[in-house]
Amino acid sequence: MLEGAELYFNVDHGYLEGLVRGCKASLLTQQDYINLVQCETLEDLKIHLQTTDYGNFLANHTNPLTVSKIDTEMRKRLCGEFEYFRNHSLEPLSTFLTYMTNEFPAQEVCTPCSQTLVTMFLRVQVNFHPVKRCSYMIDNVILLMNGALQKKSVKEILGKCHPLGRFTEMEAVNIAETPSDLFNAILIETPLAPFFQDCMSENALDELNIELLRNKLYKSYLEAFYKFCKNHGDVTAEVMCPILEFEADRRAFIITLNSFGTELSKEDRETLYPTFGKLYPEGLRLLAQAEDFDQMKNVADHYGVYKPLFEAVGGSGGKTLEDVFYEREVQMNVLAFNRQFHYGVFYAYVKLKEQEIRNIVWIAECISQRHRTKINSYIPIL
Amino acid sequence: MAALDLRAELDSLVLQLLGDLEELEGKRTVLNARVEEGWLSLAKARYAMGAKSVGPLQYASHMEPQVCLHASEAQEGLQKFKVVRAGVHAPEEVGPREAGLRRRKGPTKTPEPESSEAPQDPLNWFGILVPHSLRQAQASFRDGGRRRELPGGLGSSCSSRDISKSHLEVDPECGLTEKRSGGRAGLQLAADIASLQNRIDWGRSQLRGLQEKLKQLEPGAA
Repeated sequence: MLEGAELYFNVDHGYLEGLVRGCKASLLTQQDYINLVQCETLEDLKIHLQTTDYGNFLANHTNPLTVSKIDTEMRKRLCGEFEYFRNHSLEPLSTFLTYMTNEFPAQEVCTPCSQTLVTMFLRVQVNFHPVKRCSYMIDNVILLMNGALQKKSVKEILGKCHPLGRFTEMEAVNIAETPSDLFNAILIETPLAPFFQDCMSENALDELNIELLRNKLYKSYLEAFYKFCKNHGDVTAEVMCPILEFEADRRAFIITLNSFGTELSKEDRETLYPTFGKLYPEGLRLLAQAEDFDQMKNVADHYGVYKPLFEAVGGSGGKTLEDVFYEREVQMNVLAFNRQFHYGVFYAYVKLKEQEIRNIVWIAECISQRHRTKINSYIPIL
Repeated sequence: MAALDLRAELDSLVLQLLGDLEELEGKRTVLNARVEEGWLSLAKARYAMGAKSVGPLQYASHMEPQVCLHASEAQEGLQKFKVVRAGVHAPEEVGPREAGLRRRKGPTKTPEPESSEAPQDPLNWFGILVPHSLRQAQASFRDGGRRRELPGGLGSSCSSRDISKSHLEVDPECGLTEKRSGGRAGLQLAADIASLQNRIDWGRSQLRGLQEKLKQLEPGAA
């Protein structure tokens, strides 16, 4: 292990680490959330958000204000911050940030006014590592395939694709009938090729197979990201590996839970589990055989970390498994800031900001639907 | 005497009208509650899956309905609504058509309905591995039924103010208002509401008619 990380880290990454810590300090506090849940309308919410670090981010929007617009603007803001980090980063932080971009859904930053900015980014990035754009490309490919299934026009879907994930072969994605067609004819020369190699099959691209493809791609990506962090070593590996292991285990639990009562077979389900994490390999083998929530809980009871999480499901607050996993994720990401000189702070900040966006959108939904009983079901961060 | 009979008829009509109104209010409350539950479950699904994963990008612009509403004329000229699964013909439509196509030589191919394959479950628009909240949303909408424009132009007069208001405020861009998740029980509730409203409208017009007649018979009555 390189002992001198504390000596060399700030040379290349000190400025950005300082910046991300400053951004983390601007996350909403408990008092901010108390003010937001008291809002009666979305306009009130907008006024309260103006007093936070969000400022006038909704100033250009005319009435009626909708939850969807609030969500889009918040994500655009986060993307802007992230792009700033990425454009000012040096290797290996740049590659780390590239791996992170798989977390963003395909519809980020996709408005006409941002097209010029995006074109500039693409020109700047032309000499950078091609893996940079692969995460957005995965989302775009899945979006296009789903659109083809729903018989939507390519033009309509292309308009919604992420500009940073565009590639010349994109328009041909919807004509591929099987994943091997997709790979051999279209994706073989794109950065997605390494992730696709584990997902090849001759089956037609229907809903089930697109779902399998999406999950296998994500599994490949997660395993590659984990390997990158592990090989990097140092404090980054110490902070990121447990976070990614938790992410892998969470995916395994959620895939299992959502597969009950569907046409997904147990064998197919097992192929979607990432091959690392606390559950790997015995826990995953048991999970693959689970047929209901109780059996899944029995598997979790073997792991000291997951037993209390499953016990917290239900209860008086009506928490779901996703809720308890989000809470655990927030805890781990907040703790990442307790150590210095590692890349995990960037990952943790983006995840915490995404949780903040989910919280605000949830509060906005409860306000717009006038359903205030569950308005306090957000997850406080600071 | 005629006036007395008229008054008795008027009273029974008013009682029936009040009874129908009470039943209508009860059904609307149930429908409102189910629809509100459904919308909240959709919000939970967006929380779990991502806001853009549950929206208009996931479904086609043109959809095949799973359940249809048939209007038929009942007694007194009132329209009655019946929920029918898509692709299934009402008995009176199947009979004559079959007789016309029967032939003597060997088995014949009777014409199949246009959409022979079962309509896709709308839940699959959002993927196979959807969270429980999305299934709950489907169940809520299925149990409560979505209020849509009904034959005879009754939709606007029948639609609950609460439903239309919550629909407009939630997310006009989301486009998930026409979730045709087809459960017969849910739509039957909506059909019952339409039938009730129809009966109430008919009752009101009868009431006005009787009041006019009474005025003519008893011009001095207050």
